[in-house]
Amino acid sequence: MTKITPDFAEELKKYGDDTALICFNCGTCVAICPLVSESFPRRLIRYIQIGARDRILENADDLWKCLHCGLCTQTCPRAADPGEVILSLKRFTVANWRKSYNV
Amino acid sequence: MTDPKKMKKNKEKSEKIGVYICYCGGNISDHVDVEKVREAAEKFPGVAVARTNSFMCSDPGQELIIEDLKNGVVDRVVVASCAPSLHENTFRSAITRAGANPYIYDHANIREQVSWVLHGDKATYKAEKLVAAATGKAGLLEPLDPIRVNARKHATVIGGGIAGLKAARVLADRGLEVVLIEKTPFLGGNAAGLDTVAPLGEQCSALIAELAKGVLEHTAITVLTRSEVVGFNGYVGNYNLQVKTTLSSSSAFDKAAGHVVPFEGDNADTPTEQNVKTGAVVLATGFRSYQPKTGEYGFDDHREVLTLPEFIKQLSEVNCSGDILELNGRKIRAMAVIHCVGSRQIPGIHEEDENGYLNEYCSRTCCSSILHAANTVKEQFPKTNIYDLYRDIRTYGRGQEELYDRAARNRVVFLRFEAGNSPTVSANDDGSDYALKVTIEDGLTFSEEIEVPVDLVVLATGMEAGDVSDLVSMMKLPVGTDKFLQEVHPKLAPVEMSVSGIFLAGTAQAPMNISEACNGAAAAAVKTASLLSKGYLELDPYVAAVDQDLCRGTGACVDACLADGALEMIDAETENGTEKKARVVPALCLGCGACVAVCPTGAIDLKGWSLKQYEAMVDMIVADELIDI
Ligand SMILES: Cc1cc2nc3c(=O)[nH]c(=O)nc-3n(C[C@H](O)[C@H](O)[C@H](O)COP(=O)(O)OP(=O)(O)OC[C@H]3O[C@@H](n4cnc5c(N)ncnc54)[C@H](O)[C@@H]3O)c2cc1C
Ligand code: SF4
Ligand code: SF4
Ligand code: SF4
Ligand code: SF4
Repeated sequence: MTKITPDFAEELKKYGDDTALICFNCGTCVAICPLVSESFPRRLIRYIQIGARDRILENADDLWKCLHCGLCTQTCPRAADPGEVILSLKRFTVANWRKSYNV
Repeated sequence: MTDPKKMKKNKEKSEKIGVYICYCGGNISDHVDVEKVREAAEKFPGVAVARTNSFMCSDPGQELIIEDLKNGVVDRVVVASCAPSLHENTFRSAITRAGANPYIYDHANIREQVSWVLHGDKATYKAEKLVAAATGKAGLLEPLDPIRVNARKHATVIGGGIAGLKAARVLADRGLEVVLIEKTPFLGGNAAGLDTVAPLGEQCSALIAELAKGVLEHTAITVLTRSEVVGFNGYVGNYNLQVKTTLSSSSAFDKAAGHVVPFEGDNADTPTEQNVKTGAVVLATGFRSYQPKTGEYGFDDHREVLTLPEFIKQLSEVNCSGDILELNGRKIRAMAVIHCVGSRQIPGIHEEDENGYLNEYCSRTCCSSILHAANTVKEQFPKTNIYDLYRDIRTYGRGQEELYDRAARNRVVFLRFEAGNSPTVSANDDGSDYALKVTIEDGLTFSEEIEVPVDLVVLATGMEAGDVSDLVSMMKLPVGTDKFLQEVHPKLAPVEMSVSGIFLAGTAQAPMNISEACNGAAAAAVKTASLLSKGYLELDPYVAAVDQDLCRGTGACVDACLADGALEMIDAETENGTEKKARVVPALCLGCGACVAVCPTGAIDLKGWSLKQYEAMVDMIVADELIDI
């Protein structure tokens, strides 16, 4: 059970992202991404949409596998700019991981 | 079995039958050996020529028939091709162009009934039989004249919603007298309850006012509100409607803001009845909104659960500033909308209503309407969070997909559920002050269960067919399994009903939005106008006729007849004095033949489909075994 956190997307704005809610979860970015990691990057974008903050921190490792090749951003049919969202999530993680996650 | 050679000697039969067999560009000839059928047909009794063509319906194909008729080679025509519903009229008019009577023609369907369902020898064999039967009948065909009936240049529209208003004005603009019958005191129908409307956001009351003005100011339109049809008889071009106008009891009607009340204060003291003589009827009786069952998504159990029409109404009355929506003094910090409530129900998954019905169709307007409402909220109150729980987003049509796109940009969060796993709405127990929580297994989040605390839930309730059972039984109207009124053909006759002279406009037929309701209404009106505009109608002459000499006045036919008024007993003066005889009213006769079957003396028969013609067909079907030998 995950509870929706309403204003997480607002919070993320200060790390750069303002497009995650435009994503309509088609999965094109997952298909094009050269990484094999399952459902990346859509999974993390979805977590932003529903405000699953903890899930993002739990799965943050994936973020550092990103090559920043930009293929996802190029192919996203909604111009949701997934590549840029990943950068925002990295900033968010750096700012938050010690506080909220015991590594 | 009849020997075909003997049949040849029958003097009444035509000896000049022309048979024209179509390849249909391979559609037929890939399976039927068309040339073999032609060779067989040449030997059928009475056949003068048998010809083939790759497309009989093409100009060269039709020309074959016209030439043969003009040169006196043939005087009866059999075309063997596709279903008669496609090209019967084509060939009839070719015959007319050749100067002959269009009813000297019979049709053998060797495509739908043969080449599309059979292959090889079987196909050729069946095609031969069908052509044989048609030549048998054709030999006995007589020239007939279409039944000409006067048609009143007058149409009646039942229902004064968007569709009825639109239809009435288009009809009047085409030069017809129009009566518009609306059962409530108001014009505008269900749309009057809407505020701004998808996709463009116009004020719906303004649309209704414009339509109503166009109707009320037109001198050829009579508007009867508080009125219902209580009696119906007649036939196309000449229908009689008994219309009852009841005393105004406005209190019984919940007037919506968008309603137009044409006759305020015009309270008839006593109910009045009048007879409306009309040529055709346009049914624009509309829909009713689905009312959720108690407990369906928390409806009735929680006052924070509203239907879409209720929410639209409350939203239109909102008068608060700030960036959070307030309804009745309550701040709506978060709200959920749930799609497909009362629509797209699936047997075995959804609960049937008390009569065992499910609404299996998509209501088509709720996706756009609820996204439009969500955008309206978000654009005025951006801090109100909206969660959209959907099965599919069906914002079809121009300008509609943009609503979905805009909702995402307005930061509406979408969650997706499967039909068999609907979200649940319950009281919130997490200690926060949100009244409700919605729980959903979210397909977009890898089927995780997600809990959404909210202050309000809006159910995107769909459309159901209006209750027009009285009209259905009075006018013998066909109704679909979805309970909406049913057209003749969804593509090729989309506003026509099987009862001649009755047309469909708007949501009486199926869920549709305002644009589509106007399209349908305009189509129905133009169809009606073209039907009545000549002032007379020509009906197919395939009706019963009584041989007065043979009729003994038993009245068996009248009892058997299915069409009210098609057969009557009259007092006829004969050499034996006054005798009872049956008489057919051709315009009302359905040509069904029920009377023919019961007449003890064979006095009644159908023109163009006589018993003799049937016998000849059967003879030919069995006789062609002999021909093959
Ligand atoms: C919640 C909701 C939201 C919607 N939002 C939109 C939107 O945003 N945009 C859009 O384009 N469309 C929208 N629609 C669809 C729109 O409401 C319909 O397309 C439109 O109202 C259909 O008009 P109508 O004339 O066919 O039917 P109705 O409005 O139902 O009119 C039928 C009329 O016939 C009368 N009547 C019924 N039976 C009889 C009888 N026996 N004798 C005499 N009179 C009779 C009724 O009193 C009524 O006045 C929405 C629908 C719903 C339910
Ligand atoms: S930018 Fe990163 S997430 Fe996007 S396709 Fe490349 S590797 Fe994958
Ligand atoms: S391609 Fe774009 S819209 Fe599709 S899932 Fe990825 S980010 Fe979302
Ligand atoms: S229009 Fe949308 S909400 Fe309405 S029934 Fe169809 S899919 Fe469901
Ligand atoms: S053919 Fe049918 S409708 Fe016509 S008079 Fe006979 S029974 Fe009645």
